[in-house]
Amino acid sequence: MEAQQSLFDFIQQQSGKLLEQTLQHIGLTFISLLIAVLIGVPLGILITRKKALAAPILGLAGILQTIPSIALLGFMIPLLGIGAQPAIVALFLYALLPIIRNTYTGIKEVDPTVTDAAIGMGMSRRQLLYKIQLPLAMPVMLAGIRTATVINVGVATLAAYIAAGGLGEFIFGGIALNNTNMILAGAIPAALLAILFDGLLSLLQRMQLRKARKAVYALPVAIILLSSFYLLPSAYGTKLVAGFTPEFMGRKDGNLGLKKVYGLNIRTVVISDMIMYKAAYEKELDVISGSSTDGRVKAFDLVVLEDDKHIFPPYYAAPIVRNATLEKYPELTPALNKLSGTINDSIMTELNYRVDYLKQDPARVAKDFLVAKKLWLPARNGTKGTIRIGSKIFGDGYILANMYKMLIDGYTDLQAVTKTGLGGTKICFDALLNSQIDMYPEYSGTGLLVILAAGQQTVDSLIADRQKVYDYVSNAFMQRYQVRWLPPIGFNNTYALMMRRQQAAALHIKSISELKEYLTVKGKE
Amino acid sequence: MIKLEHVHKTFANKPAVTDVSFEVLPGTLLVLLGTSGSGKTTTLRMINRLIEPSSGQITVNGKLIQDQSAENLRRGIGYVLQNNGLFPHYTVAENIAVVPKLLQWDEARIRERTVTLMEKLHLPPAEYSDVYPAQLSGGQQQRLGRARALAADPPVLLKDEPFGALDPVTRASVRKEFMALDELENKTIIMVTHDVQEAFEMGTRIGLMDEGRLQQTGAPEELLFAPANDFVANFFRDQRLSLELKTLTLNDIKPYLPPIAASDNYQPHVLPGTTSCWDALEQAMHTEGALSVDFRTEVFTMDSRSLMTALQVYKQTAANGSTTKSF
Repeated sequence: MEAQQSLFDFIQQQSGKLLEQTLQHIGLTFISLLIAVLIGVPLGILITRKKALAAPILGLAGILQTIPSIALLGFMIPLLGIGAQPAIVALFLYALLPIIRNTYTGIKEVDPTVTDAAIGMGMSRRQLLYKIQLPLAMPVMLAGIRTATVINVGVATLAAYIAAGGLGEFIFGGIALNNTNMILAGAIPAALLAILFDGLLSLLQRMQLRKARKAVYALPVAIILLSSFYLLPSAYGTKLVAGFTPEFMGRKDGNLGLKKVYGLNIRTVVISDMIMYKAAYEKELDVISGSSTDGRVKAFDLVVLEDDKHIFPPYYAAPIVRNATLEKYPELTPALNKLSGTINDSIMTELNYRVDYLKQDPARVAKDFLVAKKLWLPARNGTKGTIRIGSKIFGDGYILANMYKMLIDGYTDLQAVTKTGLGGTKICFDALLNSQIDMYPEYSGTGLLVILAAGQQTVDSLIADRQKVYDYVSNAFMQRYQVRWLPPIGFNNTYALMMRRQQAAALHIKSISELKEYLTVKGKE
Repeated sequence: MIKLEHVHKTFANKPAVTDVSFEVLPGTLLVLLGTSGSGKTTTLRMINRLIEPSSGQITVNGKLIQDQSAENLRRGIGYVLQNNGLFPHYTVAENIAVVPKLLQWDEARIRERTVTLMEKLHLPPAEYSDVYPAQLSGGQQQRLGRARALAADPPVLLKDEPFGALDPVTRASVRKEFMALDELENKTIIMVTHDVQEAFEMGTRIGLMDEGRLQQTGAPEELLFAPANDFVANFFRDQRLSLELKTLTLNDIKPYLPPIAASDNYQPHVLPGTTSCWDALEQAMHTEGALSVDFRTEVFTMDSRSLMTALQVYKQTAANGSTTKSF
């Protein structure tokens, strides 16, 4: 085992990246805020004058606010692709409501005697707005901008899912990699940014009216300045663009291995697994870090590059179960083992294709498969006990969890429930250890590299042999966690670099080494 | 000069002001008196076009108000509101300078005018120029509101319940102060109030409104002694005696004073004939009832009883329609 790295070490080591992400984060927050102010304030003023518009506009902005942020980012992709644009638009939409609403309320709440006096003294509408309404509404408007800023700092972490960068890269990478330091290195600066901007704006809000006049003029300048941070990084680039998941970015058998073993240097953006394939298909990205059995490989006509230097370890899927559960219900093991050896890579890709691309219900796909293999039995509705099956948020997990539920329901008197969508490895495994679930399908390679975090020597000695890896994790899990690996299901869902079939053929790239060669020779012309 | 001719205003088919006509001459103050909802404020706000009349004509200084932009019209009219409507984010000096700035006076002229007004209204510039309205007392805020309305020396002044927000004591002193202001000379003033005492104290003429109609317009004593209808007569019932005493001067009741022996009770302090009956009675309390009055042509000695008797006769004569005073 390597010595546990401290958070401070991690931050020091990754300071360049941390700075870049922080600047991106600030940039994203303030570009969207700037647009929201430029559009929200005039809208807020408009609805104080055209009262019929107030309800629909505030209502619409309110509805936008209730869309879950990740879903909103998802909606943006078909319209705007990936990267900064959709992230900025989504953040802008979130910032809109507090700004419109507070501008409206702020102006509405100006003492009517004061506006009456101003009009009675002969101010035009414009003079009334600039001399009376806006200055007096300013504290309320600033409160709105303050709310919007804090919301944006928070939501901007999600920008990492669509290749827009920001501190979310560390946060989601850390969650996926079970790396607490990495999570904190992203989460703490994000929290500090929120506190900092909130504090600065509240200071401005509480300033004396006279001083605030100047400060308010300084505000747009500051926002524009902060917005420009986003443009500073990513001034470098290569011919091809790679999109890797946050998890892949930090893994030894991921981007780190690619750099070390292959010497691969490619412009990289961080992106969510959910949209990566589509982005490759739509030529937003050229190289992605997929998984070999993903249904979308087939759907989007991608081709897997050969891992000719063997950096991606074997990822054979197998159910891992709490030993206590297996001992309590001995009939469980034979039921679960029914699936062993039945699904190879191409079958799994096909099953995933039906779920991921044809949008079929994982339960139906699971049942169709079991029926075809003559493994399906009607549920016995037993009452002997409950087995809770977890799964990660990817297709594989959903389908396998459903199959195991049907097997347990059909072959034993136990009742199985599924808890799917448990995020990444860390969340699933923690749930298993804390006895919140009894089992979930895991990959041998993940067990070795992520959960056991085996040392470099151990990994090097095992990695080429699938059986050795499986035996090693089986023993180690039993000893360390009292968790048992049942026999593998059959397919190897390993990491793979993939490209569009057409582009790969045109560039004559079949393996990762050829990709590297293409980039070093032609990338810097 | 302000002139209204057959002015009507309806809000959503409900009449708020019906057929109101009156004229206010320079140097006089017309009080629009009435209860809440009588249409007096609506009438006032039509003059500076905060409300547009449904029909009728309004002329300010000989020009129809529709013939100029609302902004320009308002810049030439001083406007004082019940709660002052001071701008909380402007200093005292900045508040006063609002209209001169709108009229684009040059800096030096604005400064000079501001200083003059602050001095006249007992807000020493050295102390109060850079103070915000929230730091002033109620009376000071009221004075500032007035200074702001007078800043550009408008020929016309509209005042909507100007003393409404003050306590009775401050109110009386601020009122006296206002009456004494030389800035008001030759101005045409309309003031809205629901306070009868205030109306009688300040108004050259009073327009009593009810249900959107002007019930009677005239000098205070006209409303008291020759009411146009029952509404007017009943309106002052509760305070009739004190109003009568305050409105009439000794000059007014002189013809009806019963003669008494001239020399035996001569008082060292002689009251002028312009003294109100109310003040004369008050004086009589200190002199065991006897008063000496200088009527210019002669000095009269009388007592409180003869004063009340003369008042009684005056009222009877007024009711018969012939008094020495011409309304």
